[in-house]
Amino acid sequence: MAGETADRATTSAARAPVLSSFGTVSKAWLGLLGVLLMAGLGAWAYQLQQGLAVTGMRNVFSWGLYIMLFVMFVGLSAGGLIISSAPKFFHSDRYEEFARLGVLVSLACIIVAGLLILPDIGRPGRLYQFFTSPDFRSPMVWDFGIVVLYGVLNLWYLWLLTRRDLAARGSRFAFGTEDTQSGRDRDRKLLFWTAAVALPTAIMLHSVTGWIFATQVGRGDWFSPLVAPVFIAKALVSGLGLLLVVSILADRYTAFDADRDELASLGKVLGVFLAFHVVYLLAAERLPHAWADHFGFWAITSEFLIGDSIYFWLWTGLGGALPLVLLLIPTLRKRLSVILAAGTLAVAGTLFEGIRLVFTGYESVNIDAAPGISLGGEYAGVATDIWATSGTYTPTLVEVVVTAGIIAVGALVVTVGLRYLPLQQPTTQGTYAADGGNEGHD
Amino acid sequence: MGQAWNRVLTVGGDHVDTPEGSYPEDGDGGTLEMSYQPTACQHCENAPCVKVCPVNATFTREDGIVEIDYDKCIGCRYCMAACPYNARVFNWEDPQHVPEEGTGDVEERPQGVVEKCTFCSHRVEEGLDPSCVVNCPADARIFGDFDDENSTVSKYVAEYDTHQLLDDKGTDPKTYYIQGEMSPGRPWKGKELEEELDEEPTAEEPADVTGDESVSGAAANPTGGDD
Repeated sequence: MAGETADRATTSAARAPVLSSFGTVSKAWLGLLGVLLMAGLGAWAYQLQQGLAVTGMRNVFSWGLYIMLFVMFVGLSAGGLIISSAPKFFHSDRYEEFARLGVLVSLACIIVAGLLILPDIGRPGRLYQFFTSPDFRSPMVWDFGIVVLYGVLNLWYLWLLTRRDLAARGSRFAFGTEDTQSGRDRDRKLLFWTAAVALPTAIMLHSVTGWIFATQVGRGDWFSPLVAPVFIAKALVSGLGLLLVVSILADRYTAFDADRDELASLGKVLGVFLAFHVVYLLAAERLPHAWADHFGFWAITSEFLIGDSIYFWLWTGLGGALPLVLLLIPTLRKRLSVILAAGTLAVAGTLFEGIRLVFTGYESVNIDAAPGISLGGEYAGVATDIWATSGTYTPTLVEVVVTAGIIAVGALVVTVGLRYLPLQQPTTQGTYAADGGNEGHD
Repeated sequence: MGQAWNRVLTVGGDHVDTPEGSYPEDGDGGTLEMSYQPTACQHCENAPCVKVCPVNATFTREDGIVEIDYDKCIGCRYCMAACPYNARVFNWEDPQHVPEEGTGDVEERPQGVVEKCTFCSHRVEEGLDPSCVVNCPADARIFGDFDDENSTVSKYVAEYDTHQLLDDKGTDPKTYYIQGEMSPGRPWKGKELEEELDEEPTAEEPADVTGDESVSGAAANPTGGDD
């Protein structure tokens, strides 16, 4: 290892932002995000003024796109934090090159998730009551707390990962931190303890979000103890899937350099997560009901194997079996394009799973005698009745535009991070690897 | 528009006012059967809506009525997901009233909050029965203090077969559905509107409320023609 001065020089040279400037393409991209953001704000203002009647939600189907995507983005926020904190917790530098980008993506996703709650609220001006009048029996209060904690933790983690490099580059975001070897050593310890807090926090985040649904006796399959573990599995799949997608895209379009072998290795891990989520947990959830409800062998088998809705098939087939097969075939799974496709499909699969979860809760009602439940507004669906004995839902343009605006905020966070945060991977020399295990990952 | 706090459901066929079963044909006895089930907020003892409300906007009053503070409700609609009875409705847009002047003695609800049956808590506070009880032409509804063993409602529930809706969900509603032949229910107060009352209500304050019945069998009226 070189001396401290040389080491510092290497570090500051190696760890730079992966976008050196905003070029024409970047500016067009930022412009697009700006347009989406403004359109989203406009649509939200329209919705605030007109009421949630401009959404596809009605009295039977009373949560829609906002909550479906909230669930999805909470899951997506898992990837970076887990992939960077799990190795750190075991004092390993494995996957170090993905840590900073990963936590940046996690932060963006949890911001998007939190913002997605806002347009779902009928009277957002009263949200301060989460602080002044909380009921601690409510899983939504637990979730509010854990989402805020998780967001703050991500922000702290990202700063802790980058602050010495920020200081070395003279960035004001170092907030007075200085780039010294002893400081870097101390940060290593802090990173371990942050990882030690981050892992259980992540587990709680996904479990509590699952418990929002799993505690409800009135909404069919929601009331299942398996929901929380399934949310963990879903977070692992979608979070890692997104991290792979973003890494490969950053590798292609910015100076971010992702190691092919590490990507292939993470692809294998994604395959394991997919098998656990879409094969094992789903089977564990379905088998007891299929067995108890049917008598003949084939009746049990078909009930077990055959899904109930289009979202089920989109999730398990397109977003489950297909990426799993792509990641299983040895000749395919090392190709970047295949890993990119598998990651994209895995993320899409969890989107469809979230949609399916909300649908299973709302599409049928417990008491379905005629005439049913008053919808409470002009019905946006197929029928023109003011009554309904089952729930149907199609998002409206307003919901789509608001959602796109919020996702644009997340994309903006990532883009700005790519430009101003030192996300470059460490040089192969090893910058501050005290345990020296940095040459050649197997 | 189109919000219903109290829905009268047809228990029988697939449509309103239609029975299930078959007509008597070829000398066989028919199996037609139909009854009505008024379905509103069940005012559960273990109310999921109260437990999920993040900001304590939905709460259980001391007398047992589950009520919403419309000034507190943030409109997250978690309570609508929680209620197994779909008793709750949301103000998706600015509410319109018939008559247009407003909602009378019932508190107004703004756009963006959840609402539901209150057991007419504004009347109960004055010592009056809920409006649905007073206005039921068949006297099929009984309202009263379930903590008082001698109240009409307590006597009915003690004497007849009763069931609670979706009792397997463990919500323990304070609304009971009474089965069997019986004399009409007896509202325990007159029909005065609350603004016509003297200042001091004469009836005892209810400590706990319950009661709501649908007479099945005797009241069932299979339709043959018009509906």
